[in-house]
Amino acid sequence: MADEMKNTLEIKGLTIQYVTGDEVVHAVTGVNITIPVGKTLGLVGETGAGKTTTALSILNLVPDPPGKIISGEIFLEGEDVLKMNDKRLREIRGNMVAMVFQDPMTSLNPIKTVGEQIAEGIKIHRKVDDKASLEQAKSMLELVGIPGGRAGEYPHQFSGGMKQRVVIAIALACSPDLLIADEPTTALDVTIQAQVLKLINELREQSRMSMLMITHDLGIVAEVCDTVAIMYAGRIVEYGTLEDIFDHLRHPYTKGLFDSLPDIGNRRAELKPIRGLIPDPVNLPPGCAFHPRCDYAKPECSQQLPAIKRISDMHYVQCHLYADTDMSML
Amino acid sequence: MIEYIIRRLIALIPIILVLTLVVFSILHMTPGDATVIILGSEYTEELGAALRKELGLDQPMLVQYAKYVFKLLQGDFGMSYVTRAPVMDQLSVRLVNTFWIVICAMVLCVSLGIPIGILAATRPNSVFSQSMMVVSLMGVSMPIFWLGLLLILLFSVYLGWLPSSGMDQGFLSLILPAVTLGFNYMANIMRTTRSSMLEAIRQDYIRTARAKGVTEHAVIYDHALGNALMPTITIIGLNVGMLLGGVVLTETVFSIPGTGRLLVEAINQRDTPCVLGALVVMAFCVAISNLIVDLIYAYIDPRVRAQYRR
Ligand SMILES: Nc1ncnc2c1ncn2[C@@H]1O[C@H](COP(=O)(O)OP(=O)(O)OP(=O)(O)O)[C@@H](O)[C@H]1O
Ligand SMILES: [Mg+2]
Repeated sequence: MADEMKNTLEIKGLTIQYVTGDEVVHAVTGVNITIPVGKTLGLVGETGAGKTTTALSILNLVPDPPGKIISGEIFLEGEDVLKMNDKRLREIRGNMVAMVFQDPMTSLNPIKTVGEQIAEGIKIHRKVDDKASLEQAKSMLELVGIPGGRAGEYPHQFSGGMKQRVVIAIALACSPDLLIADEPTTALDVTIQAQVLKLINELREQSRMSMLMITHDLGIVAEVCDTVAIMYAGRIVEYGTLEDIFDHLRHPYTKGLFDSLPDIGNRRAELKPIRGLIPDPVNLPPGCAFHPRCDYAKPECSQQLPAIKRISDMHYVQCHLYADTDMSML
Repeated sequence: MIEYIIRRLIALIPIILVLTLVVFSILHMTPGDATVIILGSEYTEELGAALRKELGLDQPMLVQYAKYVFKLLQGDFGMSYVTRAPVMDQLSVRLVNTFWIVICAMVLCVSLGIPIGILAATRPNSVFSQSMMVVSLMGVSMPIFWLGLLLILLFSVYLGWLPSSGMDQGFLSLILPAVTLGFNYMANIMRTTRSSMLEAIRQDYIRTARAKGVTEHAVIYDHALGNALMPTITIIGLNVGMLLGGVVLTETVFSIPGTGRLLVEAINQRDTPCVLGALVVMAFCVAISNLIVDLIYAYIDPRVRAQYRR
């Protein structure tokens, strides 16, 4: 118990499928994630890897139908989210755990003022009246760099970057213990991106908030994350500290992600995008789902799912390449 | 906003001019005129010509039309050819009956259609929702006169609970006509509310609301409903025209002396001022209800509101 309490979030063996008609999308398969108090985990992967689905499950908000949580446990400060009743879920949502959604354009209700939308969570969890919650909403707006006087305006009067800030303000309104940020900067231009990241980092340091940062931008990972989980086709294929992943990466997919980044120091170097496309999650390739795109694929890669190989306490990889390697030799 | 309303009302004038011109021409071109009907078996060439001169029917059509419009723009609907009384006198009596039927039908439909639509969207698998969808399917496919006759058979002939015709029993007389007239309308409101509600519930901002810890009740009635109501309000407003069309049939089936029947009688008697009077009033009602819809739209949706300010 004492051990669990040190972790804000602990996901064990999470498997989620989307069932539509007779098709089954294997969105998330056997995912394990741990986020200690005050730490940030980066969840990295290509589009369709299952990042948002994983995040939604922490709020028990995977749309059902078609989404089904097949198995797994999600401990939020020691309490399994998947076993909570509706009342308890409402208590933790927005209060213990809050989420910055991926698309700020559609995440705000068009017919409510931004002030109302920020104040709503405060009213629910802090049990304060309309006036007090609106005052707090205004100071939240100012915190994310928008004048409090604009609280009475509607989402359509805001630019995309400002909407993203409003979405962040909503998420931060009740100072959650865990903030899930689903690609919080993809909708923004580079300068605003930097500002938003800086903002998130500052807030996190002030409040010892834990964070799950979803992104496919390794630059952002380097800037804000303590640990990194690399996700491919619903599975975590490599997991480790920032240093493990950036300096001692093991999985060919992780390597591919880094190789496809431009190298400022050597601009003549050819970009090497990972060949092929992310597989159809309805018909995942047998064995390791990455093998059709993998430069190091061996015969067994297409037949058998690789076992998880622990490299160190924190660092593990799911790949056949290391099946027989003695890790102490690496 | 006030300026906008005034602009909309002014825009009505050309619409009414075109409407009256078209109807005027059609009535002018249909064979037979009011004199034949007024004189009946006493009709002779001389009597007809004299009466035609008296009514101004001997003048060219455009002259007649110009005279009519000139009066209309001053709020004068002219004299009926047949009764020789001001059209307004007849209309105002008839309008009251029609008004009550339409209002009853609308209140009934809106107050039932919207809640049922919401339920059908939020509890799609319940027996209630399923049976309501069957009812609404019947509603959109059943012709008014057929439904009216069935209702008369059941409630007036077999059960004897409600009057089958006329308006002399007050509210009781209104029930069957209102249900007959509104059934199709209610089905439309129900179906639109259901589908736009289903659409709204799937939106990202609903997920945002849930992620804040909002109760399911507030998610539906506070966050989804406002957005979902827009298409419903459009349907409510657009179908006022349809409702007024249905009034003609309903009043005929239930023998109610209303505007709809006045219109039918006036057409049969080639009583042009009367026909035009009834149509202008109906067109005015449709335009006003569309205006009200736009105003409600602006009230609910800040984006629409912003357009009007400009
Ligand atoms: N509501 C849904 N119904 C059916 N399939 C879905 C649904 N939501 C997601 N999926 C599928 O589940 C898989 C994982 O989706 P998810 O949104 O979690 O990906 P992601 O990693 O967040 O991608 P992105 O980077 O594009 O946001 C995808 O194949 C997607 O098509
Ligand atoms: Mg996503």
